[in-house]
Amino acid sequence: MYFAGIDVGSLTAQAVVINAKGIVAYKSIGVKPHPVQSARAVVDMLVKEEGIDWSEIRFCVSTGYGREQVQAEGLSQDNVSEISCHGMGASWLVPEVRTVIDIGGQDAKVIRVGKGGELVDFVMNDKCAAGTGRFLEVQARTLGLSLDELGTVSFQAERALELSSRCSIFCETEVLHYLQRGHTKADIAAGVNRAMAERVAALVRRVGLEKEVTMSGGVAKNAAVRAELERMLNVRLIKYDTDSQIVGALGAALMARKMGGGS
Amino acid sequence: MRTLQSQSTDIYTDYVRDWKEKGGKVLGYACVATPVELIEAAGVLPYRIKAFGHPDTELGDAYLARFNCRFCRSCLQLGLDGTYDFLDGLIETNGCDHLRGMFENWQYVKKYEFFHYLKVPHFLREDSLEYFTEEIGLLRQALEERFGAQVTDERIRKAIDAYDEVFARLKRLYALREKVPPAVSGAEVMRLVCTGSSMMAGDFSALLDEVLAEKENAAPLPYKARLMILGSATDEVDLIEDIESTGALIAADALCYGSRSFWRREGESGDPARLLAERYLANLFCPRMFTEYEKRRDYILETAKRAGVDGAIVTYNKFCDLHGVESVSLRMDLEKAGVPVLVLEKDYGSKADTGRIKTRVQAFLERLGK
Ligand code: SF4
Repeated sequence: MYFAGIDVGSLTAQAVVINAKGIVAYKSIGVKPHPVQSARAVVDMLVKEEGIDWSEIRFCVSTGYGREQVQAEGLSQDNVSEISCHGMGASWLVPEVRTVIDIGGQDAKVIRVGKGGELVDFVMNDKCAAGTGRFLEVQARTLGLSLDELGTVSFQAERALELSSRCSIFCETEVLHYLQRGHTKADIAAGVNRAMAERVAALVRRVGLEKEVTMSGGVAKNAAVRAELERMLNVRLIKYDTDSQIVGALGAALMARKMGGGS
Repeated sequence: MRTLQSQSTDIYTDYVRDWKEKGGKVLGYACVATPVELIEAAGVLPYRIKAFGHPDTELGDAYLARFNCRFCRSCLQLGLDGTYDFLDGLIETNGCDHLRGMFENWQYVKKYEFFHYLKVPHFLREDSLEYFTEEIGLLRQALEERFGAQVTDERIRKAIDAYDEVFARLKRLYALREKVPPAVSGAEVMRLVCTGSSMMAGDFSALLDEVLAEKENAAPLPYKARLMILGSATDEVDLIEDIESTGALIAADALCYGSRSFWRREGESGDPARLLAERYLANLFCPRMFTEYEKRRDYILETAKRAGVDGAIVTYNKFCDLHGVESVSLRMDLEKAGVPVLVLEKDYGSKADTGRIKTRVQAFLERLGK
């Protein structure tokens, strides 16, 4: 008996299929212009490449931006917010987890979960791009680095430079200023990653940190931000065995299993 | 239902147009500390300034900074682009600095013949009540001079009575929303309160009578959870609709365009100016009253309890210093009292934020187990 979760985010879309035991198959793609198109595309791929017979899916839950439209199109039977799904998914992967830091391209969320992965509390950035992947993207572009390089290069830094602005746009000016003053890209990159971590840490403090802690979403792949966060919060961020980007869709599939009477 | 839905979110409503066509005068004000009874007693229509979800600010931005609250910038925009040209004057209050910036820039560009600055003390003490009484006296005088009406004690008393009639009806409407299951939605209530804020009291009472007659026998509304909303000044009926579209029924509020504008208006003095000072200054549940946090907290907790809510949404506009700061203590105190809280910082009227707002509300409902 199969259950599925579809997560359409702002940049990527995922689908995960599970059975009573665990993950059967999953797929991740870049999004199409419309969430329903993205959901269809990722499901088609899963069917074609993994040989899943979609008619055997007993219950499907959609999540993420466009979750309601995906349900309205009949691709899922119910929808759950990505906040609950991330908490649920992370807690299934790492049962001891109590705090999930999920930093995506446009959103930053800190999610506190209970023993069974149920949502206890959360905060989501409300101001702007400060503290989201977009912030890193803007600064990386100014430095002429790729997102991956922004993370790796900062380990060669002698000292992280101070970036005081909260705003991505003002921060870009500061980065330019340092470049013109002849500072190394490594020192500036280290400053950028530290500034990012500071913003995330502030968000974490708003809900309160409880161990164990995991991090998901694109920014989780930046080792320098992770290291800074571990230092600032004085915790170890547990890594997932599986791709950190499918956590939301996995959570949705687990919800589907619960709603569909599979567990 | 019919009566309710015909209440538009137009700035220049048919009611106001009609009033103007008959030669009536209209005065704009923004803060609930403005004694509308006095304006009515002068035979003038008090009009509470709203932006009704018009988020454009490009004209307003030439005078106010990006870090001024967007509600104020949106109101200024409508003032500058001619939408509010039907007003015959403005009454400024020192609700907060953003509001003051709005009024002063508006007057600077448009130059209304009647422009009055009503100074509202930030403390409630005997001397501040005296001061406010004098201020109300000055407004009374200014109204008499400009609009040629005798604002007699008797006329003020009559206006006070007329408003009391309105408040009694509004409370009946709130009771319909607070009951289990509710007969009126949060969005409907806000639409009505906003509509009434640009009508003469007697006419608003008549409208409320019609609405009450409809609603008292209306079918109950379905909902997943009962929430309360509180926070800064917003007239965003759309926001409430978005929140309610997730299944969260807004069963109670402590909003400035909601219960805070009328819930408690009492005083005991025989002198009408002093009575108005008491009715307003002593019952102003806004963080602009710096030393009265406990009073506001109790008012909010009382409301939450009466309506039996499952949780509360504390909302404020980006850059709103007053409510932004207060949201921290309120969150802690509400949670201590067993009311889970969602803090919703938002931009005024931003349609692009709708999805993010709904996500947070939906997650909040899931957190409540609904
Ligand atoms: S929302 Fe805040 S900043 Fe804006 S007018 Fe109200 S109190 Fe002032």
